[in-house]
Amino acid sequence: MEHDFEPKIVAFVCTWCTYAGADLAGTSRMQYPSNVRVLKFPCTGRIDPVFILRAFQKGTDGVLVSGCHPGDCHYMAGNFHARRRFAAFRQLLEFIGVDLNRLQFSWVSAAEGGKWVEVVTELTERVRAMGPMVEFKELEMEEHWSGKLDSPELKEAYQNI
Amino acid sequence: MQQNHTQLADDSYFAAVTNAIRTETTKLLSEGTVAAVIGYQAGTRAGTVIPTIITDAAKAGDLVFSPGCVNNLALYLTKAKKEVRPAGKVAIIAKGCDMRALAGLLGESQLKREELHIIGVACVGVKGAGAGSGEALTTGTIARKCRECTVRAPEGADVVVGAVPPLPEFSPVEAEELARLEAMTPAERWAFWKGHFSRCIRCMACRQVCPFCYCEQCLCDRNRPQALETTPRPAGNMAWHIVRAMHLAGRCAGCTECERACPMDIPLNLLNRKMARELKTLYDFEAGLVPVEKGPLTEYREEDDQSFIK
Ligand code: SF4
Ligand code: SF4
Ligand code: SF4
Ligand code: FES
Repeated sequence: MEHDFEPKIVAFVCTWCTYAGADLAGTSRMQYPSNVRVLKFPCTGRIDPVFILRAFQKGTDGVLVSGCHPGDCHYMAGNFHARRRFAAFRQLLEFIGVDLNRLQFSWVSAAEGGKWVEVVTELTERVRAMGPMVEFKELEMEEHWSGKLDSPELKEAYQNI
Repeated sequence: MQQNHTQLADDSYFAAVTNAIRTETTKLLSEGTVAAVIGYQAGTRAGTVIPTIITDAAKAGDLVFSPGCVNNLALYLTKAKKEVRPAGKVAIIAKGCDMRALAGLLGESQLKREELHIIGVACVGVKGAGAGSGEALTTGTIARKCRECTVRAPEGADVVVGAVPPLPEFSPVEAEELARLEAMTPAERWAFWKGHFSRCIRCMACRQVCPFCYCEQCLCDRNRPQALETTPRPAGNMAWHIVRAMHLAGRCAGCTECERACPMDIPLNLLNRKMARELKTLYDFEAGLVPVEKGPLTEYREEDDQSFIK
């Protein structure tokens, strides 16, 4: 099916569960949107909120963070710590004015290829319906003085370079 | 708009606190209980003060306490002037909000209680942004944080000086501002913060003045790999402010030094307060009441809320 807008989705996943789950989806020949770029981490505990910011700044339209179910973390408690950190981070982003529908968290185990497909499909379609994430991208283009570089003098100077 | 502001606490309150601080300092230094006292001395302009470190009992008379004593001196234990600590036990003048910072730093193992002698001030309040150095402390000049202070009588100090006179009810200016922001749509909030953050010049005064920003290398200064842009462009500023709020969540003592130090008048404490409140709601945690080893973001419970996780 053709779409007008193909969102970019970045998935930060832990290598032990969700990555293996996504792998299972692949080896089982399940279909899921190719909009998702998967980035592998040792554990959800290693996924710093700053990575999410970076992804938005560099042009992603949606972010997924996924790891082992509670109790299954390879490092015992990484996901418990991550759960608190992301609970707080969500509140902060919301307060800044970011629409939380662009950010999804999930637990996907190595056996849950089907759940992986479900989670990424749902996020992709939701973000597709929302349209591009413009806020961070616009910021990226702005300069400190927030003025426009379009005075006749500047244009002329630019042309002469 | 002309308003009638009542003066809070007459000069005798401040004179009494100043005297008590001097007496305590003389005693501590001449008996050798402490090697140094961190306090305030008069600044060059009338009504201003500067932080000072006194090591000689004969200099105790330099110490003062006035509505201009805004600085959170806990900073001088972890960052600036931290070389005073190896000299021996150190005494520090602490208002209620500064005590919260000390409690937090004790909990984070940055300080040892036995190496500190805390002179707590039963506090009326200090002057806020925009108050002139010559002005008195009134319902109009008092700092926003002091309008909603819950720690006027410091707990856990070695001695407490002064006694808080009866004070009027203050309207909670900052809480009202927070509520106003929360009632906005996300797009309006984005515009609000974008406007403020875009003005930030990345002088890092807010970080330098914060007792909890004691990392030897701040994430924001790293360039290999670079976590966030260091130049004062709107994109990097947005990231810096999100990172700052996140790193202080569950730790911030609410001393509002960051906001006071900011030359661009960015309302940083709104972010601090928002995070403090969210962590209270989520994990029933309040920073700085007593020293605790683990803050809300360094511990967990198996049954923590995960309704936002699929
Ligand atoms: S917040 Fe409270 S303890 Fe701190 S300066 Fe104001 S009144 Fe004093
Ligand atoms: S973040 Fe600001 S209010 Fe909080 S402890 Fe640091 S300087 Fe004080
Ligand atoms: S003190 Fe103000 S201007 Fe300076 S870095 Fe902090 S927020 Fe930006
Ligand atoms: S190893 Fe998967 S969440 Fe920790």
